[in-house]
Amino acid sequence: MSVLARSVGNAFRNKVRTAAVVAVLAVAIGLALAMLVANQAVTGKVAELNASVGTVLTVNPAGGQGFEGGGEPLTAAQEATAAAVPNVTSVVGTKALRLRNAAEAAAETASGRTGQGGPGGQTATSVTTSLTAAVDAGTLGNRNQAASGASGSGTAGSTQAAPSFSLPVTATGIGAEVDSTGKALQLTQGTGLGDYTAASTGALLGTTLATKNGLGVGSTFTIKDQTFTVKGLFDAGTAFGNNALYVTLPTAQTLAALPGELSTMIVTVNSMENVDAAKTALQAALGSDKADVTQGQRNLQTAVSSLDSVKNISFIAFAAALATAGLIILLIMVMLVRERRREIGVLKAIGAPNRTIGLQFVLEALVLVAMGSVVGAAIASFASGGIASALISSSSSTTAATGQRGGPGGFPGGQGGAFGGASQLLTSVTASASPEIIATGIAAVFGVAIIGALVPALLTARIRPIEVLRGE
Amino acid sequence: MIEVKNLVRTFKSGDRTIKPVNDVSFELEQGTLASIVGKSGSGKSTLLSLLGALDKPTSGDVVVNGVSLASMPDAKLTNYRRRDIGFVFQQFNLIPNLSAVDNVMLPMEFAGVRKAARLERARQLLEQVQLDPDKHVRRINRLSGGEQQRVAIARALANEPKLILADEPTGNLDEQTGEHIIELLSALSRDHNTTILVVTHDRSLANKTERRFRLQQGRLTEETTRTRATAAVTG
Repeated sequence: MSVLARSVGNAFRNKVRTAAVVAVLAVAIGLALAMLVANQAVTGKVAELNASVGTVLTVNPAGGQGFEGGGEPLTAAQEATAAAVPNVTSVVGTKALRLRNAAEAAAETASGRTGQGGPGGQTATSVTTSLTAAVDAGTLGNRNQAASGASGSGTAGSTQAAPSFSLPVTATGIGAEVDSTGKALQLTQGTGLGDYTAASTGALLGTTLATKNGLGVGSTFTIKDQTFTVKGLFDAGTAFGNNALYVTLPTAQTLAALPGELSTMIVTVNSMENVDAAKTALQAALGSDKADVTQGQRNLQTAVSSLDSVKNISFIAFAAALATAGLIILLIMVMLVRERRREIGVLKAIGAPNRTIGLQFVLEALVLVAMGSVVGAAIASFASGGIASALISSSSSTTAATGQRGGPGGFPGGQGGAFGGASQLLTSVTASASPEIIATGIAAVFGVAIIGALVPALLTARIRPIEVLRGE
Repeated sequence: MIEVKNLVRTFKSGDRTIKPVNDVSFELEQGTLASIVGKSGSGKSTLLSLLGALDKPTSGDVVVNGVSLASMPDAKLTNYRRRDIGFVFQQFNLIPNLSAVDNVMLPMEFAGVRKAARLERARQLLEQVQLDPDKHVRRINRLSGGEQQRVAIARALANEPKLILADEPTGNLDEQTGEHIIELLSALSRDHNTTILVVTHDRSLANKTERRFRLQQGRLTEETTRTRATAAVTG
């Protein structure tokens, strides 16, 4: 009989006690794993927030935002100024265009009605496309059209109710592979555009826009009579966001015939702690009469701070549950070793080395821990989501009130998902018990078990056999 | 050869100092069958544990084939117990949740003997001590005292030790089995040149040994020294 077989047999010597020990261990291990899962989920979320919007500032022309308001456009020189501000790690310029379907634009012109105005006096008729918008205008679109028709740069043909029209497609020139909020584009097909600082005829299309127009990767379409090839498709996660396309920044500037002009700048700061200071410095460097600097993550700071608390609490709870599991194992092994002191003495008397005795008790402990871990992992897989939610909801109750919509995202009604409410972000944390995390937790429990079993076994094995044999 | 030199073992009991082994010296040639007799509490078991390196003497030394046990580190003492010593304890000291054959295999496992070889030898030894084959795989706690004693003797023989120390090896056996065990030990001593030292109350067993010692109040005296042939005839 091998040491392992002997250890397994020993683990089941007293079946009632084994069942009780496994039950207690399972609860402790299950709790530890659930806390680890929650901790990992929150850590991931915090990292994601910090990496995307948590450290992002948006710069708009002073008095203007997207296709609304007025003021002077941003320039390449201001982009360079922003890049020189301390703690700024990157500045990505964007140039927004509104694309009108060429056929519809011609029909509107013929009927004496012009489309919406664009920034810098850009008119809809100046940028036409073969694409058709994937979003129907509906009530809101027609109402907005009626309102902007009165105030836009175009001329209102009459005071009659405007006929139904199709929405424009938002085209954005970008200086890096990020969306207008600074988040990395989620490409579902194809590749990126390569060098975003050079003009190209490639474009990235939103999935619904591509579907609406029957386009896929490699298909072509036109903007301002120029042929573009679809290099990739992205999923922005919203119907509005997916009714858009991206081209490189120089391409957009060329299409708009406004070289060097920017609609917005997405400024990334090196850490959340420096965001406030960078914002102030950036505003001062650009001038408050030239640019508006907004901090999309202000409300998120509270949310992330709240998530950090959850992360700390879950880690402490993981450590505590792990320590509890270790203590349970230690006490059980102390009890078992004391109970079997005579047996240890006999094993020593017939020539068992201390390491064999230690190994036998370690394996016995690991058998108990393995059984406890199986049950504990099952408990964790069911409970981790609930525990994480409970921790987050109790923590977010104080922050939910501030979890309103964030600052301007640069585009009206645009892809503000990333700037959504803090409470929304908190509830979007998903705690899934991945095999890697479970394996990490169980490895930690096994590590603690080895120490817990080895210490009492070796302490007993070190004494002279006769002391144990005589003592009984 | 075993040389015991001025061996002393003392214990503290409150203010008193007890000397169960008090300046004991003797020598045993390899292959000798010897016995120690004495009253209960006379120090026989303590002396046996000192010879078997289960305990350390307060002073004096045990020298086995020229190697001093007193100066041996713990790891080497473990090797010595595993390779050179076979113990038969008064209370058997078997592992209760293991079968008879598993108990006999244990010392061989510690000595690194392959599983198949140790299983075969364990079965042979259990047959030698006349344990029914259907009881070889029975758990120890389901065997009678006499059967457990036989398993304990088989375990002591497992690694073919040079020295067997037996504390009342026939104490729990019926007369017939006891006779058989004595013959087995005698044959081992004779055929395998194994030194056997038996602590016993059993006069008939003591009379069958070549050298007979008496331990009284910690002091050892030799009662008889005979040849093996004489011991066998007169015993």
